[in-house]
Amino acid sequence: MSKQEMRKRLASLSFSEKVKILEKLRDRSLALAASGLRRKSAGDARKKANKSSKG
Amino acid sequence: MQAGGVIEKYAIGGAVGATLYLEPAATLDVDIFVTVPTIPGSLLLSLAPLYDYLKARGGTVKDEHIVVGGWPVQFLPTRNELEREAVAESVATEVEGVITWVMSPEHLVAVALTTGRSKDHIRILQFIEQDAVDGNRLRSILDRHELTQKWKQFEIKYLEGINE
Repeated sequence: MSKQEMRKRLASLSFSEKVKILEKLRDRSLALAASGLRRKSAGDARKKANKSSKG
Repeated sequence: MQAGGVIEKYAIGGAVGATLYLEPAATLDVDIFVTVPTIPGSLLLSLAPLYDYLKARGGTVKDEHIVVGGWPVQFLPTRNELEREAVAESVATEVEGVITWVMSPEHLVAVALTTGRSKDHIRILQFIEQDAVDGNRLRSILDRHELTQKWKQFEIKYLEGINE
């Protein structure tokens, strides 16, 4: 299935089904935020960018 | 809450509202626009009765949100004619058997245009890309609320050349 078809399929779900997906997305975002992974990856990206701009 | 006289009418806006028409996108909270009754003898609006109502039913206050059913909810009293119209003309849908009011796609776009953050612009583009707005209805709302100029600026910035 193409990305566009997948988006259409997701958009056509009922609101109840979409709310369930939103809950999963929200919980995943909160788990990522709590684990510090996002901060770490942002920090790593910054270091990498600094390194490449110096090099 | 409506039956209890705590609010007059409400409509879900923001990312959760947009989800009725688009693919679901990650968001951490729910924006609910409400028209609340004025305090008798005063021009002030108070959300205290609304918070008291929800706290009595297990809601917990966290910063500017009240957490209901696992969702941090922000109640936003309508601030202008556009938001009042968006609430008045909201669309009824069902979530697990409960009638729920959500802003129309055109009002979601108009409100996002006035809010004007990057994430609001991204959402407007999603509505356009997914052909989820009625162009005539949107233009009429933009005209009525003097947002045509702002829309033109948005078009120049984001939509020029999109059909080339």
